[in-house]
Amino acid sequence: MNSYLNCPQDTDGPMVFQYRVMRFRLTIFVVIWVAALSLAQGEVPDPSDPIAGRDHWAFQPLKASVSKSRADWSRTAIDDFIMAGLLKAELGPVSDAEPRALLRRVTFQLIGLPPTPQQVRDYLEDTRPDAFERVVDQLLDSPRFGERWGRHWLDLARYADSNGLDENFLFREAWRYRNWVIDAVNKNLPFDQFVLNQIAGDLLPYDTIEERDRQRIAGGFLVIGPKVLLGNNTNNQRMEVADEQIDTIGRAFLGLTVGCARCHDHKFEPIPTADYYALAGILTSTTVMEQRHMLGQQRVMERLVGLGAKGDDSDATYEQYWRDLPNKKRALKEAKLALDSLKKKDGEGLSVPEQQAKVDALKKVIDSPPAIPPRAMIPCDVDSPGDEAIRIAGQFDRKGEKVSRGYLKVMSDEGAKIAEGQSGRRELGRWLTDVETGAGRLTARVTANRVWHHLIGRGLVRTVDNFGRTGEMPSHPELLDRLAGELVESGWSMKALVRKIVLSRTFALSSEHDEASHAIDPDNKLIWRAHRRRLDPESIRDAMLVAANQLNLEWTDSTVSYLGDQATAVGQNKNRRRTDFPCRSVYLPVIRNDLPELFEVFDFADPHAATGARPKTTAATQGLFLLNDEMVMDAAEAMEQRLGAHSDDSEKIERLFEWTFSAPPADDERDEMLDYIRMTTNRLKTDGDPEPNKRAWAMACHAVLSTSRFQYLE
Amino acid sequence: MNCHHFNKTTTRRDMLRASACGFGHVILSALAGGSAQAAPNLKPHLAPRAKRIIFLFMWGGPSQVDTFDPKPQLNNHDGTPLSGKDIGRGDKSLGTILGSPFKFAPHGQSGVVMSELFPSLAKHADKVCVVRSMHTNGSAHGEALLRLHTGQANLVRPSVGAWVSYGLGSESDNLPAFLTISPPRGHGGVQNYGNAFLPARHQGMAIGSAEIPIAKAVIPNLSNARLDASLQRGQLDLIQSLNRKHLSDAKVDQGIEGLIASYELAYRMQSSVPQIMSVDDESVATRELYGIDAEPTDNFGRQCLLARKFAERGVRYIQVSTDYTWDHHNKVKQGSIDESAKVDRPIAGLLEDLEQRGLLDDTLVLWGGEFGRTPMVENGDGRNHHPQAFTVWMAGGGVKPGLTYGVTDDFGYRPVENPVHMHDLHATLLHALGLDHEQLTYRHAGRDFRLTDVYGNVIHDLLS
Repeated sequence: MNSYLNCPQDTDGPMVFQYRVMRFRLTIFVVIWVAALSLAQGEVPDPSDPIAGRDHWAFQPLKASVSKSRADWSRTAIDDFIMAGLLKAELGPVSDAEPRALLRRVTFQLIGLPPTPQQVRDYLEDTRPDAFERVVDQLLDSPRFGERWGRHWLDLARYADSNGLDENFLFREAWRYRNWVIDAVNKNLPFDQFVLNQIAGDLLPYDTIEERDRQRIAGGFLVIGPKVLLGNNTNNQRMEVADEQIDTIGRAFLGLTVGCARCHDHKFEPIPTADYYALAGILTSTTVMEQRHMLGQQRVMERLVGLGAKGDDSDATYEQYWRDLPNKKRALKEAKLALDSLKKKDGEGLSVPEQQAKVDALKKVIDSPPAIPPRAMIPCDVDSPGDEAIRIAGQFDRKGEKVSRGYLKVMSDEGAKIAEGQSGRRELGRWLTDVETGAGRLTARVTANRVWHHLIGRGLVRTVDNFGRTGEMPSHPELLDRLAGELVESGWSMKALVRKIVLSRTFALSSEHDEASHAIDPDNKLIWRAHRRRLDPESIRDAMLVAANQLNLEWTDSTVSYLGDQATAVGQNKNRRRTDFPCRSVYLPVIRNDLPELFEVFDFADPHAATGARPKTTAATQGLFLLNDEMVMDAAEAMEQRLGAHSDDSEKIERLFEWTFSAPPADDERDEMLDYIRMTTNRLKTDGDPEPNKRAWAMACHAVLSTSRFQYLE
Repeated sequence: MNCHHFNKTTTRRDMLRASACGFGHVILSALAGGSAQAAPNLKPHLAPRAKRIIFLFMWGGPSQVDTFDPKPQLNNHDGTPLSGKDIGRGDKSLGTILGSPFKFAPHGQSGVVMSELFPSLAKHADKVCVVRSMHTNGSAHGEALLRLHTGQANLVRPSVGAWVSYGLGSESDNLPAFLTISPPRGHGGVQNYGNAFLPARHQGMAIGSAEIPIAKAVIPNLSNARLDASLQRGQLDLIQSLNRKHLSDAKVDQGIEGLIASYELAYRMQSSVPQIMSVDDESVATRELYGIDAEPTDNFGRQCLLARKFAERGVRYIQVSTDYTWDHHNKVKQGSIDESAKVDRPIAGLLEDLEQRGLLDDTLVLWGGEFGRTPMVENGDGRNHHPQAFTVWMAGGGVKPGLTYGVTDDFGYRPVENPVHMHDLHATLLHALGLDHEQLTYRHAGRDFRLTDVYGNVIHDLLS
C-alpha cells in the first residue's frame, strides 16, 4: 500500500535526506534563537499569532510583476520568469522536445491516454504555426480531459467507494460525486463555483430539480471522508467528523495543516485553537450522518438523500422496508406457528386457507425488497446550528470557551456573517476563494501550483500540500503569483491555466541530460529541462488497454454495485471488488484498505486523506506486477491478435512501437525484437507448443509493455 | 573543499560503490516495497534487549477470566447480577455474572497461573510474563484492532511493525523488516500493517490472509501462470536490454536505473520467497513440535514455524494472526476450548524451538487480542467485548520471565493495580528493542508524529 508521503523522500538520496534533517535542525535553531532574542526584549513570539503570521509569503496579497529576459527564446510570460531564473544561475535551457515526445507528453498529461498513431501522423504533417495549439485545444475539449484532471481533484477529495477505518462499509452512491467532479472539470466550472458547490451545494438556490441534485451531489465532498463508525459516543463522532473535514479542507484548498490546531495552538503555523473551533462550529452545524437500518440493525451511517422530484418518498419507502423487516419476519414466524396449530385443529380464529393466505402475503412482502432508489451522499445543516466551544486538549468532553463561527484570522479580520439558523457553509465556501477578504489569494496560489505540479512534474512550491512555514519556499515566487493572479482574473478558469502552461516553451523542453546544468541544479529546480515522469497507474492500465484495442471509453456509473454492504467483509469474502471492467481506470472501485493491486503497487493516492502529490517509489512489486499479472498478459495477447492483421514482421514491430511509445523503433531495437521472436519461436517449437510464433509475439508485446520507455514520459 | 558538497546528488551507483553492504542493501530496501535505494540504518536509542518481536494475535478477543486471570468470585456469584458497587464504580447493574468453567493452576517454579486451556504452554510457564491489567479503547473490533496495531483509530497511522522497521531497518538482506502472516482483511485490514506516512518500504509484507489456510497462501504476482522460468528469463533479458538502451539515451536517470534494479530483484524474489515459505525442508521432529500435520494445530503450527524462519533471517517484526475466531458472544466455553486447542501446541512449539536455536534471548514473543471479554454473560453462554481489562503475555527477549503483573478487581472488570494501557504496551515494546518511543518520530504534514502520540509510559517492571 502506498504512503502519504507528500514530498518525494523516497526518490531522494540519503544526502538529500541528511540535508533535510540539517535544514530542519537549522529551522529549529532559528526558531529558538529568535525566541531567545525576543525573550531578551521581554516578549515571547507566539507562532500561532494570526496577525503576526500575515508576514508569511503565502498569505500576502498577490503581486503582479513582469520579467523580461530573452525574447528570442520565450514564447509566453511563463518562459520569461523561467529564463530569468536560469540566467541568474548562469544556466541555459536544453533543446526543445522532439515533436513525437511532446505530443505523447501533452496527450498523457491532458487526457491520460497516448496519442493515436493517426494523431501522431497528423501532427507531424501539420506545418501550420499553431499546430500544437490546435492539438491542445482539442485535448482540452475532449471528455477524456475531465477523466484525468477530475482524478487529480479526487486525490485531494480523498474519494473512495467505501468508508475504510474500523468498519469498511460500502459507499454505494459515492460514484455520483466522482462523476460530478469529472463532469464539472469537463465543463470547466469556474474553480470558485467548484469549491462552493462542494462545501455548500445543498444550500444553493436552483431552478430545476436536476440543478438541485447536481449541487447536492457536489456536497458529497463533505460526506465521503473516512469515519470511525462503531465508536461509542455520538458527540465524539461529531467532533471527529468535523476534524476530518477541517483537515481535508485545510490541505485541499489552503495547503495548510489546520487540523494540528485542534488540541493546542498550532506550533508552527499562525493558527490558534480558536480559529480551528471557529471553523469547527460551521462543520458541526452541518451533518453528514443519519440513522439508517443496515445489516440487521439501526446504525449511524453516511447521510443519503433520494434524487429526482420524488426522491424523498422513494428513499423513505425503501428505508421503511428494512426497518419493518424484523417485525415482518417475526409476524411470519407467528403466522406459521398459528398455521401449524390450525392444521392440527387445536387453534381458533381463521380457517386454514385464510391463515395460509396471510403467511403467503407476508412471505411475498419479505421476499420482494424494493429496488434501491437513486440517491446520493448529501450533507445538510443541523436543526439548530450554533457556535462551538473550544475543546481542551482536543477532548470532546472538556469544553472551554465558545468561539463565534468564522475563518482563519491570518487571512483577514473579516468575521463570518452567518444568518440565524444557518451553518455558515455557504459563507465558508465563498471565503475560500474570496481574494479580497477571504483566503482566495492562498487558494489561488495553492491551486495554480498544483496545476503546475501536474503538468511540469514538480510544484513551484514542492510541498504542494504545505504552504505554511514548514513548507518549502517557491522556486519562482513571481511566476507563482502571476499564475495565481491570472487564474483569478480569468474567472477561475482551470482550462485557461492549463492551456497557458502547456503552450509555454518551458513545457515543451526536452528531458535531455546536461552535465553542466546537472552539476549546478541536479534537482532541476530552475527547470533547465523537462522532468522525466513515470505514468500513474491509471495511465499505465489505460494505455495498455488502448494498445490492446480493448478500452471502452463510455461514461461509467457504479463499478461497486455488486458488492455487499461491507466492502471488505470479515471472513471468507468471495464477493470482492473487481477490476475486470473495460472502462477507464478512473472508474475502477476505490475501496479503502483494498485498492486494486495495480493502484497499490504504482503509488495511487491513499484515499484516507487529501493527497496533492502522490508518492513516487520504485519497488520490486511493480516489476512483479508487470511481469506476472494476468491483466498485462491479456492485453499483450490482444495486441498480438491485433498485429496478426499485418504480415511483415518488421511492420509488426513498427506498429507495436507506435502503439506503446508513439515512436518507431531504432534499427537495433527492431533487430533485437526480431531476434527475440525468432529464438523464442524456435524454443517453443522444440517444446511442442501448438502456436509457437503466436506465443512468441504475445511475449514480445508483453515485454514492450513492461519497458521503462512505456512507463515514462520524456 | 567544496562547501556545497551536500548538494551533489548521490546516484544509486555511488551508493553501491560506497556501501559496504553492496547490493544486499538495495535488495533489502526494494524488497521491503520501497525505493531501490539504500535505507539509512538507524541506531537504537538505548541498549536493546530484543532484536525482534513475534506478535501472536488472537483475533476477536480471548476471555481473560477463562485463560490467565482467574476470578473465583465469578464462580461464587455465577448467575447473580454484577453491580457497579461490586467494583467500586457507581451502582448501575452491569449484567449477570458468568463463572468460568475452567480450572486454573500455578505452573513451573514461578507459579504463573494458567487455565487448563493451555496445557502445552503451561510447561513454559517460567518463560512467560503475564500482564493482567491491560486496558484499551474501542469496544468494537475495528476501533480496537486499529488501536492495537497503530495506536489510533480515527486517523491513519503507521503500524507498530512499520515504526520498528523505520527505527531499526532490516537485519536481512533479502526480506523486509516487517512481515505479517495471515493478517485480517476486515477491521481496518491493511491499515493494521500499513506504513501510513512513513516511506513505503516500511509497510508490512502480507503473506496470505486470515481466512485462507497458510498452506494455500499466495503472494500476488509472485509467479507467472503462463511462462516457465527460462522463457521468463529470456523475456526479462529483452525488457532489460530495452531498458538499458533507454537509460543510455537518458544518460543519467535514477528512476530508470532503479527500475532496472527492481526487475532483477523481482525476478530473484520469485524463487527466494517461496523457498523461505516452504516448511517442507524442516525435520519431522520440528514439524511435530509445532503440531504440523495434526489437527487442529496444523494451520497455526505452520504460521508459527514460518514466523521462526523469518525471525532466523532477521525480520524485525513478525505478526501471526488467527482467523476471526476468538469472538465468543455465544458459547464462550466451547469456543475457548476450540480456539486454544488450535494455538496451544504451536505456541509452545515456537517457544521451545526459539529457545533451542538460541533465538529466544533476543526475540520478544507477545500474545494477545484486541480486547478482553466481559465477566458478565451475553446470550446465555457467551461474553461480550471488554476493552476495560484484559490479559496479554510476553516471553523471551528482555522481559522478566515468570512474572505476573497487574491486578484486576475480584471480577476481572477493570485493573486496580498497575494498569497498562495499549500506549504503555507500545512504549514498552519499543523500549525492549532499544527505541525510545518519545524519540522515534517522523515529520509529516508539518509536525513530528510518534507511535504513542502524546501518551505512553514504559513499564520498566516488565523488563529484565
